[in-house]
Amino acid sequence: MTTTINPKALPAIGIDLQYSHTIGRAEFSGPGFRNPTAMARGEEDVMYVANRSYDYRPDGKRITMCTVGEEFIGEFAKGVFEQGDGEAVSTDGAIIWPTAITVGPNGNVYLADEYLDRISIYSPDGEYLTKWERPGDGDGQWDKPTGMAFAPNGTLYVVDCNNHRVQMLTADGEYIGQWGEFGDGPGQFNMPFGIEVDQDGSVYVADWRNDRIQKFTADGKFLLQFGETGDAPGQFNRPTDVAVDNEGSIYVADWNNDRLQIFHPDGSFAGMTYGEGTISQWGMGKLDANPEMWEERKISQGLDREKLFWGPIAVECDDEGRIFVVETARSRIQVFHKLDSVFYGVNERVSGGGGRL
Amino acid sequence: MPTNQEIAQMAHLMRRAGFGATYAELEQRAADGYEATVEELLNPIAQPDLEMDILERHFVDWKEMNALEVNQAYITYRMINTKRPLQEKMALFWHGILCTGNSKCEHGRQIQLQLDMFRDLGMGNFDVLLKGLSRDPAMVFYLDNCMSHKGAINENWGRELLELFSLGVGMDGQANYSEDDVKEAARAFTGWTITNAVPRYPYGRYESNFIYNPYDHDNDQKTFLGETGNFNGDDIVEIIARQQSAARFVSRHLYNFFVADEVQVPAWQNTAPRDPEAIALLERTYFDSGYNLTAMLRVMFNSDFFKNARFEKVKSPTEVVIGTMRLVQDFTSPKLGLQPLANTIRYMGQDLMNPPTVEGWHTGAEWIDSGTLVERINFAADQVGNTSLPGIREIVSRLDSEQVSTAEGIVDRCLEMVGAYELASETKEQLVAFVGNPAPGSPEYSDTIAQTLQLIVSTQEYQFA
Repeated sequence: MTTTINPKALPAIGIDLQYSHTIGRAEFSGPGFRNPTAMARGEEDVMYVANRSYDYRPDGKRITMCTVGEEFIGEFAKGVFEQGDGEAVSTDGAIIWPTAITVGPNGNVYLADEYLDRISIYSPDGEYLTKWERPGDGDGQWDKPTGMAFAPNGTLYVVDCNNHRVQMLTADGEYIGQWGEFGDGPGQFNMPFGIEVDQDGSVYVADWRNDRIQKFTADGKFLLQFGETGDAPGQFNRPTDVAVDNEGSIYVADWNNDRLQIFHPDGSFAGMTYGEGTISQWGMGKLDANPEMWEERKISQGLDREKLFWGPIAVECDDEGRIFVVETARSRIQVFHKLDSVFYGVNERVSGGGGRL
Repeated sequence: MPTNQEIAQMAHLMRRAGFGATYAELEQRAADGYEATVEELLNPIAQPDLEMDILERHFVDWKEMNALEVNQAYITYRMINTKRPLQEKMALFWHGILCTGNSKCEHGRQIQLQLDMFRDLGMGNFDVLLKGLSRDPAMVFYLDNCMSHKGAINENWGRELLELFSLGVGMDGQANYSEDDVKEAARAFTGWTITNAVPRYPYGRYESNFIYNPYDHDNDQKTFLGETGNFNGDDIVEIIARQQSAARFVSRHLYNFFVADEVQVPAWQNTAPRDPEAIALLERTYFDSGYNLTAMLRVMFNSDFFKNARFEKVKSPTEVVIGTMRLVQDFTSPKLGLQPLANTIRYMGQDLMNPPTVEGWHTGAEWIDSGTLVERINFAADQVGNTSLPGIREIVSRLDSEQVSTAEGIVDRCLEMVGAYELASETKEQLVAFVGNPAPGSPEYSDTIAQTLQLIVSTQEYQFA
């Protein structure tokens, strides 16, 4: 009896993530987040987290500065605004409906606010520098900026959600170009949300209401799309953000499916996780300060839900190979590592070869 | 073109079976026909639901629905924008009767889930709704059924189920149940409980779920409303649904909420219905349809007693605020200011999802006192006086295009536009005297119309639905 092998039947190699830890706890100020919508990695281990909070608790609107190791550094852009007659008045530097945050080549922090149609810029320490407030649909204007990413060459890409397009700016905010219009064809968008630029300068857009990811050249020529509406592997329910690691693997925050999906560079499905959250260091501190809750946890039923993503709205990769998933409804960030897909025997790495014992 | 009478009839239907409508919608619906509109309202799932993806993407706290204020903002937006107004009105109806409140609730979202249950079951069969309510985690916690055990009952749920949720204390001068029935009902519901809560720290709460614990259920025989058996909770509900008093309870509540103000509920045992024939018709429909709410609503909305009951009800705070917002067409897409808007309902005396007691709110004239009346008038006048709002712009533009220029013409048309209101002749004369004769297209024309609308919503008549 002979065995025939159909190469096409070989399972595609998957990508697995190893859970690292969770950062955050639900707080309106201090160590913690409140309905975070985006995060960016800064120098060393610093991270900036944009907190949208509730509209009736503007005190929780802020950017939290902390480290990946959960050291609280500070917060800025505190929600200083007055509200009356249905109109929001925001002072410079304050935020109302933050959607995206990114760090520029010079280390400055850029925050997009879709309520004010404003991009605010802060120094790495959180000092307010300037703003681009440009409501409209003309060149360099936007109607709800929802995503931002810097290219290796310093170009800033801004997702202009309600104008269904992507715009390119210099780091100083000068208009360079744009592409996209409303629709579901290649290069068209329906309320696009998050954006990413990979090492080669290719651009990925979370085409939110088309339930797909599109990939473009640096100047906006369509390259690739993947995804469709649904909850099967490779399908999306309103993907909000996309990130690409140094090896080209693509991570998608599949927001309404409450999961993170992983794709190979060609857009084929590679894996997914529904979350593995554990109690963060800040969370431990909160529970230690309220010890009765440790007791409540001992008898609570359905605690397993705490592991799962709820409203995973943003995903980021850093140069250390870590993947960060921001959860709006749980006010926390789950951190993962990508597992190497190359086989190592148990002792191979230890002894330098020789396979199993 | 629909007649003024048809518009008036449609305005009445939409105020009661929904939360009011713009004049353009009234015209369209009147052209479609009264009965056709009733049928559309009775079949809510044929209409699209709100686009929750867009809403949760803007109001990012709406997935979690943790705090009372967030829940109130959500329900306010929902009532303003729903294309299923009767479904939402029925959820409000049941919320005011089958009460739970945030003051005794482990997680705000739990009451929102209860309202979802009312949206799903509130127009179906009464017994099915009560079975859903008996399993509702917010209710199980609110009325302590999770604290009721085999051999050590807590009768809170058993009592309120009979007194406030299904039969009422009595009717026609007689009691509807005894103290023993309360205890036996409580025994039958032992073991109906909920999962232990996940504490709020560090990431926020999760909802609890209903569970049945057979080891904590009293399996012995019970005698309830004259029937004897080894009853569980569902058996109790089925016995309840068969009672004449259940038919009376549902009929009278429907009448009080949708047709005309009755005396307050605690007086029902010894006070005959305002319209006994109407109640008798609804009771018959209750039994003929297998306790079906949609059948009862159909009979009611198509009846003469409903059609002839224009302005026989004092608007609830919710109806004042939502009706006015639907008129001015504000908050039709996500923006700030929703929670302050929801607060106005609270300031007028109806703290949604947080009623004062398990009895809910007293209704009718009791909505009005010197404080809440000022709140109502100030709120409505502020809204309709804002000529930048789409609904008001539409009214101005309509009158302008019709070249309405006489004072009487402007007053009459404005009264129609806000829902075919009728004023006492003395009041109307004062309005006419105020308006003067502004020329259409003139700078003062839109201001005059806005001021006329402000005066209309400040009248006694506008407080009635």
